[in-house]
Amino acid sequence: MNTRMTVLVPLAALFAACTSIPEQNAALDQAHSAVDAARHNPQVAALAPDELTKAADSLRVAEQAATDHAATATVNHLAYMTLQRVRIANDTASSKASQAVVAGAAAERDKLLLEARTNEAASAEYAADNAEKQLALSEQNNDRKAAELANADAAAIRNDARVSDLEMQLKDLNAKLTDRGMVVTLGDVLFDTGKSQILASGSSNITKLADFFKRNPARTALIEGYTDDVGAPSVNLELSQQRANAVMTALISLGVPAGQLATLAHGEDMPTADNATAAGRQMNRRVEIVIAPTSKDVVSIE
Amino acid sequence: MNIPRPIRIATTVMTSILFAVLGGCVTTPVPSAQLAVADAAVQHANTSSTSQDAPAELQIAIAKLSSARQAETNRDYERAIQLAQEAEVDAQVAELTAQSARTRRAAVESQDAAHVLVEEIDRQNHRRADQEYQ
Repeated sequence: MNTRMTVLVPLAALFAACTSIPEQNAALDQAHSAVDAARHNPQVAALAPDELTKAADSLRVAEQAATDHAATATVNHLAYMTLQRVRIANDTASSKASQAVVAGAAAERDKLLLEARTNEAASAEYAADNAEKQLALSEQNNDRKAAELANADAAAIRNDARVSDLEMQLKDLNAKLTDRGMVVTLGDVLFDTGKSQILASGSSNITKLADFFKRNPARTALIEGYTDDVGAPSVNLELSQQRANAVMTALISLGVPAGQLATLAHGEDMPTADNATAAGRQMNRRVEIVIAPTSKDVVSIE
Repeated sequence: MNIPRPIRIATTVMTSILFAVLGGCVTTPVPSAQLAVADAAVQHANTSSTSQDAPAELQIAIAKLSSARQAETNRDYERAIQLAQEAEVDAQVAELTAQSARTRRAAVESQDAAHVLVEEIDRQNHRRADQEYQ
């Protein structure tokens, strides 16, 4: 009996020591609400799910210990561990959120730098574009100069055309190109023998000459009178002058400015044919209109 | 010894069982492993940046580790294990608190830098636009 008691009493004491009365634990309640708060924080739930799970597991262990009537110190310890795990979850989430902000800012910075560089490039392109435009402009200038040169060439060609036109105009008048210029010879058919009155038959030639001088106002001409050797030379000189004057008067009356014209009497000098024959003498009785060549040969009307 | 032999044997067996059971309930193996883990965690956390950004948390971890060692010395192994576990988690809390403070600062700084950059680029753009306008 005595021996039995020595065995049973310590056993009972042992079991009493191992169990404890279940009681409301403030630390456990605190841990519970902390885990709940973390669960309902979307940032923590999203950014620290593993840490949150550990906190929840820790809370479950603590609650199980409380249910199993574990020692208050043990429950307190487990509740404290849970609280610290919640803090770890919160801090982890906060760190990750801040890291995301840093990364976002870095991305934003890169984007801005890229934009800035793009702008610089665009600006450089703009400058290059400007330079190109300048170049294009100078090219345009060159083109314009080339065009001007071409125009000048064209004008020269037109001048040539005019010259040939001039020749055409004078061709009707049987003009001949000589060293002195274009020479139009009006034969004595213009005049009666010994007279300086222009015959009607010659008026068409006079009209053509007048047109020519009016179209070419820069043209000056010397109207030279010649005779055959019949009669006194002084008379012939006088006659040649009168005939030259008659032509000049006729031209002026047709609108040619007097400034373009001048007369010269040659009398019986400088015959173009033999005065021994009638045909030769007829050829010598003439008025020559010598159209002086000009540097441009023709005045541009433009 | 007038105790009969069978009883003596029974008493010896029961006492052995009692000690075995008591050992299972009360005694805890020496928590050297837990203490080593806690020590490593606290050492890891004990950096200049943690002591700067989470000094209170770090101090708690260090104090808890020291208490765990004291409990071990006092052969209160269960308490030593608990304190070692708490020291370990306290060290982690100190580290993460410091880290979260640092990253929060970095976030603010980078946002400020981004603002400055935006302003600087705007100014450059305006200047360039002015130049181009001229």
